[in-house]
Amino acid sequence: MPQAIKYKAKSIIYFEGDVSDKVFILQSGKVSLISTDIDTGMQNRELVKTGEFFGVKSSLGKFPREETADVLVDSVVLVFGVLEFEKLIYANPRITLQMLKVFSNQLRRIHRQVENLLATEEQVNPEKGLFGIGEYYFKAQKFKPALYALRRYLTYYPAGVHQARATEYLVSIEKCPPGKTPAVSPAHFAKGFEGGSSASADAAAYFNGVTLFSAEKYEEAISSFKQYVSANPEAEYAVKALSEIGKAFYSLKKYDECIKHFSTMIQKYSKHAEVGEFLLYLGMSCNAKGDKAKAEGFFNKVIQIAEEGSETKRKAKKELKELGGR
Amino acid sequence: MGLDLSQFDRFKVTFQKGDQIFCEYEPGDAFYLIQEGRVQIVKIIGEIEKMIDILHPGEIFGEMAILEEAPRSASAIALDKVEVLEFNKKNFEILMRGNPQIAMKLLMTFIKRIYDQKRRFMILTLQDPQARVADVFLMLSETQTILQQNETKITDDVVIDATLEDISHWCGLSVAECRQVMAYFTAQRKIETLNNKFLVKNLNDLQRLVNSRRKKD
Repeated sequence: MPQAIKYKAKSIIYFEGDVSDKVFILQSGKVSLISTDIDTGMQNRELVKTGEFFGVKSSLGKFPREETADVLVDSVVLVFGVLEFEKLIYANPRITLQMLKVFSNQLRRIHRQVENLLATEEQVNPEKGLFGIGEYYFKAQKFKPALYALRRYLTYYPAGVHQARATEYLVSIEKCPPGKTPAVSPAHFAKGFEGGSSASADAAAYFNGVTLFSAEKYEEAISSFKQYVSANPEAEYAVKALSEIGKAFYSLKKYDECIKHFSTMIQKYSKHAEVGEFLLYLGMSCNAKGDKAKAEGFFNKVIQIAEEGSETKRKAKKELKELGGR
Repeated sequence: MGLDLSQFDRFKVTFQKGDQIFCEYEPGDAFYLIQEGRVQIVKIIGEIEKMIDILHPGEIFGEMAILEEAPRSASAIALDKVEVLEFNKKNFEILMRGNPQIAMKLLMTFIKRIYDQKRRFMILTLQDPQARVADVFLMLSETQTILQQNETKITDDVVIDATLEDISHWCGLSVAECRQVMAYFTAQRKIETLNNKFLVKNLNDLQRLVNSRRKKD
């Protein structure tokens, strides 16, 4: 059982540097926490509010007290041992949640202070940062993390400042057959498209399609992809372009066309690695049209065939869960 | 970790070896509890991809995203086939009610991370390069001997598992600067360099150096 202990004004509950496993709640009175600022060496004072915990981090983390608890007026304090404190936490998720909020703020703050001291340049905004990660991995020829970061970039910032370059990098990785290294220099890559031969003009059509798609210009994206497919019907990338067309239909909420498109694709490319994704879009379209039973069938099929842990499978599971309303 | 987590199976997500779990700067809305496999935390600092940590089953990562959807501060990559439980704001409450042990674990994770960051901050506020490097060794010795309660053996040799790059990462100085400081410490017979290890001859010595350089004003 926690003990209620009375402290006289001007007494000290604990000193900075003490080691102890006690956690406190201020029940009544006034207690101030005096800590030394790491950066300036100045003393900070912070009042504990009634009902607030103190001494939590050092007792649970088993490190020395980071502040001195100074009693300003006669006060009553509840004292918990670590085990008692754990019991309290187990019984009161709300307290834990509040404490997590406080800690999360503290962590952010100290994190920022560290970053500021380390930073050689000013803070990067997240958009620039995410693109920078993609670009870093692209240039370092680590294409898997590059793909991830660039795709994320285009998902979050479809009309972002670096959208064109992100798309360019992405296409140059995706276009590359497995086992070969894509052209890393963007300049070199761009030259390939401007070459004037019909092959590179078609590649440009694909490239345009991806750009337009991520800019949410779906109609124009569809015509770009169609242009690419009609010029290269047998190319490995034709399937990818076709699948993009289907996705664009979905984004346009043209569900019937999306269903028709992917159904045809599944017949033609039943052995294709991305067949799960085609089925996913079929399911999503059916769902959007209100045909939940059919949608469920498709999602189950995706879960059956898609690779364990793949993005497609995760999405299908999520869709199915939402269908069930759980 | 001896917790029954079967009730959380519906939050289970699998990543294949080499898969990206999340990426630095990406908005985060979930945190993860590792059930199987190892997860590597990396960050691009300047022009270098820096390994920050390797996490094991039972550990939590991405925890900053629980309460606020701020951008991720580092990337997480599956080092093996990894199974995690994925929690977000929505199912977080369920988790807290259903399994207070995890809540406690989360609390402890925060406490440790705050402590680590503060310790790091203390190193970086030192102006003198020698004191900074010395303080990195003190910090590493603290974390490596955290379970030993008393400090009676502080004058003994201490072996620190670290590379020059690690030291450079922690103290925020370039590798070249660190090498210079280490050459000085070696000449002074304070620290010996072994293969990917350092032998600190006398921690008290380093402690005195750090104390004398820490701001008092």
